[in-house]
Amino acid sequence: MKHNNDNQWLEALLSRHIYRESVKFDFSKWTERYPDEARLLCFGFEDSGQSMKTTIFNVWRFIMESKVTKYSAAAVVALAITLVLLSPFGTPGNSGIVLANVQQKVAGIKTMIIRGTKTFTRPGEDGEVFEFNGIKCQFDLVKYSSIKHGLVEEGYVGDELIYRFTFNRPKRQTLLVLPPWKKYGTFTSTDKQMQLLENLTPKGIINLLLEGFHRELGRDDINGVEVEVFEFQDTEPFIGLGSKPILDIQSLKGKVWIGIEEQLPVRVEGDFFIGKSLMTMFNDLNLREVNTFGEYNVELDEEIFDIKPPEGYTELTLSDILSLIPAEAKAGLVGLGIVPAGFIVWKRFRRKRTRANQH
Amino acid sequence: MKEPEDQILVQRALRADPKSFGELCRRYYNSLVAMAHSILPDHHLAEDAAQEALAEACRQLPKLKRPELFGPWIGAICRNVAKDMLREVLRERRAAYAHPRCEQDRAEDEQKAILVEALQHLPEHLREVVFLRFYNEKSYEQMAKILGATEQIIDGRLRRAKKIIAGYLKKKGFRR
Repeated sequence: MKHNNDNQWLEALLSRHIYRESVKFDFSKWTERYPDEARLLCFGFEDSGQSMKTTIFNVWRFIMESKVTKYSAAAVVALAITLVLLSPFGTPGNSGIVLANVQQKVAGIKTMIIRGTKTFTRPGEDGEVFEFNGIKCQFDLVKYSSIKHGLVEEGYVGDELIYRFTFNRPKRQTLLVLPPWKKYGTFTSTDKQMQLLENLTPKGIINLLLEGFHRELGRDDINGVEVEVFEFQDTEPFIGLGSKPILDIQSLKGKVWIGIEEQLPVRVEGDFFIGKSLMTMFNDLNLREVNTFGEYNVELDEEIFDIKPPEGYTELTLSDILSLIPAEAKAGLVGLGIVPAGFIVWKRFRRKRTRANQH
Repeated sequence: MKEPEDQILVQRALRADPKSFGELCRRYYNSLVAMAHSILPDHHLAEDAAQEALAEACRQLPKLKRPELFGPWIGAICRNVAKDMLREVLRERRAAYAHPRCEQDRAEDEQKAILVEALQHLPEHLREVVFLRFYNEKSYEQMAKILGATEQIIDGRLRRAKKIIAGYLKKKGFRR
């Protein structure tokens, strides 16, 4: 396209005068500079009501720039100072949530009991609950959390205990107990898992809110408790929790309800999308977890964090896991390099030979 | 690997994918700075204008009816943001300088000042093409993408711009 020109001297001159090195755009700095826009990008635009918001901003700019507003604001500030000094209405603080205050308050919590539900559903099948080995994966949860000792999570179906995870913080060990199968497994807890323990406490949740993108959704009422709702979306704390073949958390969206009077979390909801991995038995699954808080600084017996396997239970082996996994998912195990292909083939061969001998 | 089209990135950004918008920003940032600098007197102001334009585009993204025209659309936003900033800058500096850049530059380098004046004399759409071409040495294809014009049109504008600049410089006794 370049035309033949007799103005090469001019091109050189313009180039010398105007040229600059390309600047590399730093998106993370841009998001820091424009946090509202970054939030929009994170949470989508569907319910943002942007045109309305822009209009409101413009109206606010007009109002705030007016001299009348400035004088009125000065008067209000002067009045407010007087009221705070005289303190006729008691201490301030019931008007809303300041996350930094909440963070400070939850830092003082040593123990708590959390109750809730954990439901695994298949994506796109209109909420069909995932069923594994005859058990519907819709658990009632009880969690016992202690800053000093660790965390215990129990999953029930009806009254039957299906699993119990015990993360022992001082020993950095995890015990998984599966009563329906009389099996147990022990694992060494990684730093990341220990960090997640923190994230599952109110302190961690508030930290997540403060560190990541979050937005206020307004006020609500839970069982007569006035709360403010926050939405957050950050998979970062869960990345590296386990390798992808073990647990593949691909997205997370959560909400936290914080009591306005108590300045403490009352409820947390999380919606995860977990890709095919060992923890989901090689299925793409949605996980919805709802936790309700309320029992803070209760006395917890140290023994519940014990990681000694119960009597009469045998250790979970790879063969046990394989026998629980459907045949089609085993290919996934091999594909992800968790199990050598030869092992599966050998197991099948041995099973066939046993059957043949029985006949 | 072929880079995704603008419209795909726009659609992804609208579905809560910040990385896609980040990619659009990276794709157009330098062009936007060049475009803003064709209006604003200072490189740092031009960067500010480009970043503000991206923020405005983010806010207005759901209103973009034809995502395939993201380039010209963000270009137009940047032009408007830069003009607003220029008005602000001139208002602030008017008391001190009649024409801040020219006066300052003239003292430093008379020839450079004449060139600046020549650029100032260009109509806005021609000055924009000159800046896009010489700022980061953008290709005609890249320029076409953000200006929403064909390469032929851009070539024509560039020719006219150079002719006007050359004429102005000659008139002012500019020595090659």
